[in-house]
Amino acid sequence: MSTIIQTQALTKVYGANGTAVHALRGIDLTVAKGEFVALIGPSGSGKSTLMAILGCLDLPTQGTYTLDGHQVQGLSGGELARIRNEKVGFVFQSYNLLPKASIARNVELPMLYAGVGRKERRERALALLEKVGIADKADQLPGTLSGGQKQRVAVARALANEPALLLADEPTGALDSKTGAEVLDLFRELHSQGNTLLLVTHDPSIAAQAERRVEIRDGKVMMGGSEEDLMSSSEPGTHPAEHYVGVGR
Amino acid sequence: MTSGAFRERLLGAWVEIRENLGRSVLQALGVLLGVASVLGGFSISDSQRRRADEMFVKMGGLDKLNLQPKAAVRDGQPTALQQANLGLRDADAIGGEALQANAIQGVSRQKNARSRVVSAYGDQDRQITGIGGDFIPANGYAVARGRGFSASEMDTGAPVVILGTEAAQIFFPKGDAIGQTLRIGAVPVTVIGTFEERVFRFRENQHNQFWWRNRIIAVPANLVQRRMNGDAYRRVDRISFRIPDMAVMGAFAKQLSDLVKANHRLQDDFRLDDVAARIRRRESQGDVYDIIFMLSGVLALVGGGIVNVNIQMAGLKERVREVGVKMAIGASGREIFKGFMTEALLLTALGSLAGLVLGVGFSWIITKSIGIPLYMTPASFLWAYVLAAISGFLFALYPAWKASRLSPMEALRYE
Repeated sequence: MSTIIQTQALTKVYGANGTAVHALRGIDLTVAKGEFVALIGPSGSGKSTLMAILGCLDLPTQGTYTLDGHQVQGLSGGELARIRNEKVGFVFQSYNLLPKASIARNVELPMLYAGVGRKERRERALALLEKVGIADKADQLPGTLSGGQKQRVAVARALANEPALLLADEPTGALDSKTGAEVLDLFRELHSQGNTLLLVTHDPSIAAQAERRVEIRDGKVMMGGSEEDLMSSSEPGTHPAEHYVGVGR
Repeated sequence: MTSGAFRERLLGAWVEIRENLGRSVLQALGVLLGVASVLGGFSISDSQRRRADEMFVKMGGLDKLNLQPKAAVRDGQPTALQQANLGLRDADAIGGEALQANAIQGVSRQKNARSRVVSAYGDQDRQITGIGGDFIPANGYAVARGRGFSASEMDTGAPVVILGTEAAQIFFPKGDAIGQTLRIGAVPVTVIGTFEERVFRFRENQHNQFWWRNRIIAVPANLVQRRMNGDAYRRVDRISFRIPDMAVMGAFAKQLSDLVKANHRLQDDFRLDDVAARIRRRESQGDVYDIIFMLSGVLALVGGGIVNVNIQMAGLKERVREVGVKMAIGASGREIFKGFMTEALLLTALGSLAGLVLGVGFSWIITKSIGIPLYMTPASFLWAYVLAAISGFLFALYPAWKASRLSPMEALRYE
């Protein structure tokens, strides 16, 4: 099985020497293709920072990060944008749909940046909306939708360029428990179809839905993996964290 | 980038403009006013200048070089040579014409007299204009009724007269003037024609600036020379050469001056129009206005541009999150930059179009109110548009650059 995420000793330091804040203090994480991983941790633990780096929104201060075979550290802004476009699909807590663009256009946008032709964009967008169950709203504005529907649009958008990694940041945080559960069902369905999912949450009950959990605390990986993962992980490596996050699965 | 991507950006920009109509209108307003003031300024200046040109042309024009007698004076006394001289005469006209026979399109002579003019209805002391050569067309007159002087009448100084409308009205208020007799001094002359009325108003509601031209009482110059002034030397009061080509006129003026001076025993007893000054005036006419108008237009555009930068920066604050989202789903800084530029340039284009319309209206109102015909050149439109495009482009750069430099993560978290 190929590896989607591989990080080594990732650190992120904000600010200068005197007031430096160490958000990440050496993260080693490996996620294989097709995994459904929950990244959990309290606020201030550094999980948002880690998510930003894994999503190529930000660069690590030190350490290496390989996403689906691409070295990320040291890339320019334009190259990062390209990687985000092709490899990463984001789902945010607050949906982050463009309010002035139709739902179909929201879904088309990542394909537009990737240079997909007009006709194909439209067809694919409609197919994706079909997949998340709101094809009939394609030409409406996001403002007309309920929260759960908006999140479905966001998922459709995230899937637009068939990304290697689907990153969801508190995707159910703004939803009531019923619609939240529906969205989680959608994620599980996507997972069963072979998508690689990384779900960032502070809620252990949501994290429990994932196949594997990685807990972040004070910028470090505390413990990882479900029971089975820990059991099935092959020989412990030389690095202490490897044991927890299941390198070499 | 492909044209498809450009079309998408244009569409996106249009959606953005439509959704933020208030902000967009404000932004376009700066461009609009700038374009209107540049176009309006130029057009008003052009209209004024064209009107001045029309006046010159109607007066007989810029293309005439006049030669007139002048007293050569030293220590307050006419010089002995001046007194012995023959003054300006037909020979000067004939010699002058020979200098540039090809370029000269007409030579007219004028010999004036002042005399008592008597008819059955009027009795006045009037100026008599003795005309020769191409005087009538060269001075913008045309015979309305009757006929002009024949060559033999000119030559022999026949006792015939053509009247301007005012003179005809004074001396023959009733009935037809043509065929009637008028006494000029002791000479009875027959009216053979009347001139068309000369009318020119710089502005519509002004008085007729050419009214005095209708007072003309024109007789052959030879008649004045032979029977009214008793001048054996056939002196003339004015010789005009008509030369349409300004470049030739300059050279000709120099040659003519040398010739006449030689003819006049090296005395400066004549006055020749200053062609260089005339060319300078022709070329510089309205330049100051053009500069002032252009400057005020440019200042309006710059002022509008600065306001635009402010509006765009304020707008950008509202759109940080949107930029962040776009970046998160794969828009590069370049893409964001292009998007913002497209939007600003589209607004500039729309604002300029509206500005052109407003500028036309503005020019129309101003020229109408000062009563001159509106005259607009394509160059004014082009200038206004180009200046607006330049300012629109320059002032869009900073906000677009700022937007493109946003960090995607911070932009996403921006509240």
